[in-house]
Amino acid sequence: MSDSQHPGAEAAVPTAASAGVASSVVPALDVVGLSKTFDGTQVLTDIRFDVLPGEVHALVGENGSGKSTTVKILAGVYDPDDGGAVTVAGTALDLSDPSASDAAGLRFVHQDLGLVAALDARDNLALGQGYDTGWPWRIRWRSEGAAAREALDRLGYDIDVTQPVSTLSISERTAIAIARALSPRRETPAVVVLDEPTANLPESEVRRLAASIRRLSAAGIGVLFISHHFEEVFDLADRVTVLRDGKVVTTRPVAELDHGSLVELMTGRTLDVDHVAQPQSELRDVVLATSGLNGAVVRDLDLTVAGGEVVGVAGITGSGREEVARLVAGDLSPESGEVVVAGRRIAAGRPDLCKAAGMSYVPAERKTNGIVTGHSVAENVVIADLRPLRRRGALRARLQRRDADAWIERLDVRPRDGGLPIESLSGGNQQKVVLARALRLSPTVLVLDEPTQGVDVGAQAQIRSHIRAAVAEGLGVLVCSSSSEELAEMCDRVVVMVGGRRVRDMVAPMEVDEITAATLQSVAEGTA
Amino acid sequence: MTTDIESGRGKRPRRSFGLARYSGLYIWALLIALFAVWLPDTFPTTQTLRSVADDQAVTCLVALALVVPIAAGIFDLSVAAQLGFSLVIAVYLQSQGIHPVISVLVALASGLLVGVLNAIVVVKLSVDSFIATLGMSSILAAGVYTVTDGQPIVNGISEGFTQAGRGTLLGVPLTVVYLAVVAAVLWYVMEYTPLGRHFYATGGNPQAARLTGLRVDRITAYAFILSGLLASIAGVVLAAKLGSGSHLAGPPYLLPAFSAAFLGATQIKPGRVNVLGTLVAVYLLATGVKGLQLAGAPPEINDLFNGVALIAAVALAARSARRARS
Ligand SMILES: Nc1ncnc2c1ncn2[C@@H]1O[C@H](COP(=O)(O)OP(=O)(O)OP(=O)(O)O)[C@@H](O)[C@H]1O
Ligand SMILES: [Mg+2]
Repeated sequence: MSDSQHPGAEAAVPTAASAGVASSVVPALDVVGLSKTFDGTQVLTDIRFDVLPGEVHALVGENGSGKSTTVKILAGVYDPDDGGAVTVAGTALDLSDPSASDAAGLRFVHQDLGLVAALDARDNLALGQGYDTGWPWRIRWRSEGAAAREALDRLGYDIDVTQPVSTLSISERTAIAIARALSPRRETPAVVVLDEPTANLPESEVRRLAASIRRLSAAGIGVLFISHHFEEVFDLADRVTVLRDGKVVTTRPVAELDHGSLVELMTGRTLDVDHVAQPQSELRDVVLATSGLNGAVVRDLDLTVAGGEVVGVAGITGSGREEVARLVAGDLSPESGEVVVAGRRIAAGRPDLCKAAGMSYVPAERKTNGIVTGHSVAENVVIADLRPLRRRGALRARLQRRDADAWIERLDVRPRDGGLPIESLSGGNQQKVVLARALRLSPTVLVLDEPTQGVDVGAQAQIRSHIRAAVAEGLGVLVCSSSSEELAEMCDRVVVMVGGRRVRDMVAPMEVDEITAATLQSVAEGTA
Repeated sequence: MTTDIESGRGKRPRRSFGLARYSGLYIWALLIALFAVWLPDTFPTTQTLRSVADDQAVTCLVALALVVPIAAGIFDLSVAAQLGFSLVIAVYLQSQGIHPVISVLVALASGLLVGVLNAIVVVKLSVDSFIATLGMSSILAAGVYTVTDGQPIVNGISEGFTQAGRGTLLGVPLTVVYLAVVAAVLWYVMEYTPLGRHFYATGGNPQAARLTGLRVDRITAYAFILSGLLASIAGVVLAAKLGSGSHLAGPPYLLPAFSAAFLGATQIKPGRVNVLGTLVAVYLLATGVKGLQLAGAPPEINDLFNGVALIAAVALAARSARRARS
């Protein structure tokens, strides 16, 4: 990048082109023979790949293929099985010491971000890099605040750094986690590892992140990048390592691959991602309506969703998009305005009444809002409605198993074992469980907030076709998503939010770029 | 993944908790065998069996009163104070010439009422459950002192009432019969009704539970009310057993009950407080203490043994959970 802030970066560093052949360069990260067994189940087998200095190396694979487990081993969260070895810039890494990887110069953005929810951005940044202190151990809050604002500003975010991060939106939180990994206050890292950093980011913010990643690579820092969004992989990566079933299928320069071949390497089969235009379902009565809805950001929102249609909500971070689903589903109480579900007016802040009226809700952020921790996969699937599981008044384990197994099968949750603790599933598979829970209620309205966050391409297609089938039967869907691609694929109509207001409506067929442009373009128009 | 889809189920062993889940039962059996061999004359007798069962019935009831709120992710520190409160009410009303049945009903109603108050403070006023119930304990202690005036109440207690506390049914102490009935009902509620599952789901992730349409406030309120009712049952049973009322009766039950509930959470259904696990925990500890006492250990062995066993058991459970994770 020409705007690189790192002096001399461009000349010194091997570029993408040389990466494939540069065997003389000492890799920034070299992973050899890594294996991992959980409870007698081998989830990683002999993983090997390397990341060269200045290289962006993508790690791709289906949900549950072992990407995050690999990352967690590198971070010292899990101990690997005996026999593996990792070197960072030529120095062997002690995999049994959780603090070793940080000291060796590895920085991480984990899939679940790893922020402390109750603390603010300043504290969360300092957790990685230490506080700026004066005498005696006094934290210099003013400078901490300025540093935090600057770090976030560099990523293009303007966030209140004194708010607990639990009050921020998921994309803002992602930004804080990234800022922490890229902190300039510490010595230059050897490798930055990003586990699905873009799962919750709108396209415009993905572009900003991509620019930051290019700056890192231009400065000679290796980047290990995980994403289910292939365009990002093709756009950013020099080489790709494909995982399947916990094994490395191949490592190749990205130039040798295209969408189809990458899918085939990931899944072991060619995928029929049907880009066939969705048949227009017949529109029925309005099943969801809001009028004059006002939230913290959202202003005077009127929306209707009819049975048989899928309505999308697009917008960049801070546009109010993040708030829409939460207001509609009763998570947040609106300041004013009303929500009507299947003809029934819903009292503010009452998700239970929404459900009673026929709404199912898939919230964003499965970890805080979705999964019921300490419970099994099956329990998570069925918890929203236990009535069908009763025989003569008592809940039956057998009915629960049968009911949950059917959904596990239908949404392709892996592994196929409802008895596993939900925490042991990979991120994408947890998301499928949360989706299964909502679909199982056979709702008349389905409200989805970032529904396929972290779900792989194959499973996404499966989930969408499942939803489409229900829509043909009369289901009305509201999808709030940061992914223009998802909106373009799923929706009959898209409502574009800017500065809290609905500024534009689009109707299928829509181009992905068109939606992204609308969310941005209107910034100038909408705020004028 | 294609091959895994078929083989996945068989390949992955069910959680390797088999041994850990029932470790309490094994250790219990081991303790019994050990003491039976060591003290063949005094330990393996119906006398010992009956006294252990009888002595621990009230502790068990209080521990069960804790199972519900802990499952729902909240603390109820006021259970012991509630026990003391309903105990003195049951006794005091009788000493004032009120019919024992009415006295008992009023005492149970007082438990419900305290549960409702706790629920209001926590749900409506959004006070943290730990703090709310700590405050409630203190308020109840004041109430108990007012009723008893700091003196034990010993007069005017109905004969039938104390019979109900000290009698036996087919050789089984009545207190144990009450415990069995209460435990069976609570076990059914927790394991086989939606309400029980809702308690656990709320404890697992209240935010997720709310967003799936569960009425988390109401579930929390039920937990407090149920806990209050169970604590007051414990109070009435203890009143009948003692045949007197004192302001000192309640507080000593708090720590053993918490120990039992947490120790019980490592048993039968590891990671969750549960009814059967709690019963196992109480009687495991009691058996150990009884054996040591019969062997001539000093009385402080009781607290010492309970404390060590609790820490050791929970540490072991944490270790096996960590093993499973890494
Ligand atoms: N703590 C754990 N205990 C048991 N099994 C686990 C645990 N963590 C992960 N697994 C299993 O390891 C496998 C790999 O999971 P991992 O999270 O690495 O997948 P992933 O490639 O990151 O998937 P995703 O794209 O969904 O994030 C999965 O089958 C998962 O169920
Ligand atoms: Mg992952």
